Amino acid sequence: MIHVPDNLIRAGVDAGDVRTELTANDVIDGVRPQLAVTPRTAAAAAAALKWASDTSQSTVIRGAGTKLDWGRPPQPIGLALDMRHMSRLVSHAHGDLVATIEAGARLADVNRALAAHNQFLPIDAAFADTATIGGILATNDSGPIRHRYGTPRDLVLGVELATADGLVVKSGGQVVKNVAGYDLARLMAGSHGAFAAITSATFKLAPVPAASATVTAAGRLDLLDVLPALVQHQLEPTACEVVATLDAVGGRARAWQIELLIRFATHPAAVASQVSAASALAAPHADAVDVLRDTDEPARWNDHAAVPWSTHATIVRLSWLPADLRGGLMEIGEAISGASGDVRACVIGRAGVGAGTMTVSGPLDLQAAVVTMLRASTHFGHVVVLRAPAPLRAQIDPWGPMGDRTALVASVKRAFDPKQILNAGRGPC
Amino acid sequence: MTPQFLSDLAAIAGPAHVLTDPAAMLTYECDALAHLRETPAAVVLPGSTEEIAAIVRLCARDGVPFVARGHGTGLSGGAKPAAEGIVIALSRLNRVLAIDIANQRVTVQPGVTNLEISRQVAPFGYYYAPDPSSQQVCSIGGNVAENSGGAHCLKYGFTTHHVLGVEAVLPDGQIVHLGGELVDAPGPDLLGLVIGSEGTLAIVTSIIVRILRRPEAVETLLAAFDTIDAGGAAVSDIIAAGIIPAAVEMMDRTAIRAAEAAVHPNFPDVDTILIVELDGPADEVTALFDEVQQIVRARGAVSIEVAASSEHRARIWRGRKAAFAAMGRVSPSYYVQDGVVPRSRLPEVLHRIRALEARSGLRIANVFHAGDGNLHPLICYDDSVPGQTDLAASVASEILTYCLDAGGSLSGEHGIGADKSAYMSSMFAEDDLAMMMRVRAAFDPHGLCNPRKLFPTPRLCGEVPGPYRQHPAEAAGLAERV
Repeated sequence: MIHVPDNLIRAGVDAGDVRTELTANDVIDGVRPQLAVTPRTAAAAAAALKWASDTSQSTVIRGAGTKLDWGRPPQPIGLALDMRHMSRLVSHAHGDLVATIEAGARLADVNRALAAHNQFLPIDAAFADTATIGGILATNDSGPIRHRYGTPRDLVLGVELATADGLVVKSGGQVVKNVAGYDLARLMAGSHGAFAAITSATFKLAPVPAASATVTAAGRLDLLDVLPALVQHQLEPTACEVVATLDAVGGRARAWQIELLIRFATHPAAVASQVSAASALAAPHADAVDVLRDTDEPARWNDHAAVPWSTHATIVRLSWLPADLRGGLMEIGEAISGASGDVRACVIGRAGVGAGTMTVSGPLDLQAAVVTMLRASTHFGHVVVLRAPAPLRAQIDPWGPMGDRTALVASVKRAFDPKQILNAGRGPC
Repeated sequence: MTPQFLSDLAAIAGPAHVLTDPAAMLTYECDALAHLRETPAAVVLPGSTEEIAAIVRLCARDGVPFVARGHGTGLSGGAKPAAEGIVIALSRLNRVLAIDIANQRVTVQPGVTNLEISRQVAPFGYYYAPDPSSQQVCSIGGNVAENSGGAHCLKYGFTTHHVLGVEAVLPDGQIVHLGGELVDAPGPDLLGLVIGSEGTLAIVTSIIVRILRRPEAVETLLAAFDTIDAGGAAVSDIIAAGIIPAAVEMMDRTAIRAAEAAVHPNFPDVDTILIVELDGPADEVTALFDEVQQIVRARGAVSIEVAASSEHRARIWRGRKAAFAAMGRVSPSYYVQDGVVPRSRLPEVLHRIRALEARSGLRIANVFHAGDGNLHPLICYDDSVPGQTDLAASVASEILTYCLDAGGSLSGEHGIGADKSAYMSSMFAEDDLAMMMRVRAAFDPHGLCNPRKLFPTPRLCGEVPGPYRQHPAEAAGLAERV
């Protein structure tokens, strides 16, 4: 039995917010922390971190825990800083299309509240039902509507942070336009909790579109030719997704199956005209074209969001130049053909942006070989392993090389976290 | 600065590209905020990233401060030299390195002008979205330093939303790549940190930007109102209706009359005009433009002028974008402020500014990005009248307090630079600034990269915040303000 350390309470943490008997629910990617603090204020979060710095406690900041298995397996964890009691929508300035939200609030709950004024925070990150604002910003995770709205780093206007040495600091502001001071809010995007605890963040919102419909088209690689045509014809989709699937059975790869999901969400008249224009552009290249409306449409998008996570195989995040996807898929095809056993590769992503995930199932050595191939590929870049079977995670660094910015990232990390307590070696910094 | 330093500088960049004669360095004494000026020890005009890295290593070796400079159009003294240091002028790095229409990417050197990118890709039907008023002459490197916006950033965002990657020289001379052609480089967003850092963290030596396809349709209207409240209410109603225009601009009577006198845009002589522009798919623009006109009418617009052609639209925008220069014709001197307020509090803050105008006796013209609450009050004064310069400075300072009282910001797009650094403590707490300074030290432990900018230091005797004064190059007839 571990006692609540006196100096933690003296540092300003409420004894009621400290737990020493942790359960399976507290396990972070296989490691059970010694202690959990669930602060209710930024000052309490900062006090807990200062205590952790002073006593050299390896610390992981967590929200709902939906992405805690991304990155390297953690080293032993002294303190879990659990942000879920900081879950308020602090303010919704609907006339300004701005909201300030505590880090532990769930995106889905926030969007239910913002809907009162027909607005939303336009982020459709993975596990959107339970993922929290802090985790979404710290991972800069996004989904299909990134095509229109960008990623969390594009929407964040300001942050409040609790730092490892016990400060509560702010950067940015509550207004949509502001260049005063360094943009520490964007710096948090992609930091995975290695710099500081985000305690609250202010975001730019968007009006909920008046109408929406989605064109789906299925076909072979030629279907990708529709993508530049959409741009050329000045269509402005909200999401433009590609799902490319390749099965290989007994060493023989079948043909790539391509599906496009092109969503238009705007004024009803413009939805109707763009849906018909996109359908007409897709038809000559597709085996089938369909239009999803009403309840069929959100159901299809929910299924789409779940696809990458429904496998126990390797899941990587990767990027490509939008016009180069076909070349990349052909390279994957070559890597897979000739493999023994049954293999399925699936690239799911933002066709217009050039970013998404790839899943690959099949023999472990083949999964490893595909990751290695992707890292060496001239068609893909920024290959990050999000999930993989344990033997693979032991063998491959999930983050890959950081390039010539490695030393700079380490230097900025020291500025925020001089005692190097944060993130338990999970990476990326 | 030692003779050895200067000869090493000449060895790196070539003797023709090192200036030490004060007359030759006149242009480099200040940016467009011309009252903040300093003669540097030397100016160097490097021709490549490698030369910049070598120059910066030399500065690190000898502890010589350096200030990177684009085309000197900045409005916050961000490119003001350090007397004991050098200016690294990036004007020779003015090449477009790559245009990739299929992937909507353009790679440029920092001395390329903002508008040049749009010019290069226009034949393909594309453009570069951020459009600061100085876009004909300002450099893209300067845009990155300041995170420049423009009239259309309400819908399209700022420089930070359109830059995918940079190559940069760090203050120790190391060359790094942040972001790149591909999105989603893992790790913290150092690119987002460097953009808008006002040249205090690194020198950006090449930039990959994202270009956009031209929208199918554009509609622009100019509505006239009898009161600023009515115009402000129309803006609120447009936003409340779920419409995000490409641009929403307002001008008051003083600014309207100045613009009319300067470029004759045929603006109505009223209390307030509102310019609203929508763009996007034709059916969307048609439907929403109709809604906007209904809103504007319901809020009591006394007239609505719809741009009937692209020439007509250009005339309206010429009137808006010339507003600053126009003030130079009607007032001997003026000072441009750049504070931001939450959009919903615009009318309240504008009333305070009008009361201040009456109280101070100085004319204040208001030209602003109403959609995002970014004010540009132009405080008119005559520096030949004793005391007016100081009065203008105190009026400007008071307007900033109105912005902060309303929950806003010191600067929407011009930056803090040397001009507003003394005010940073009124927007940020000591710990906030301490954290930012630690980040700065992580890049630049010796404080050589654009020193004495952005962070508060006591103002020097005789240094007042930034009224407009003529740039030395203007005085010499070598340049004019656009």
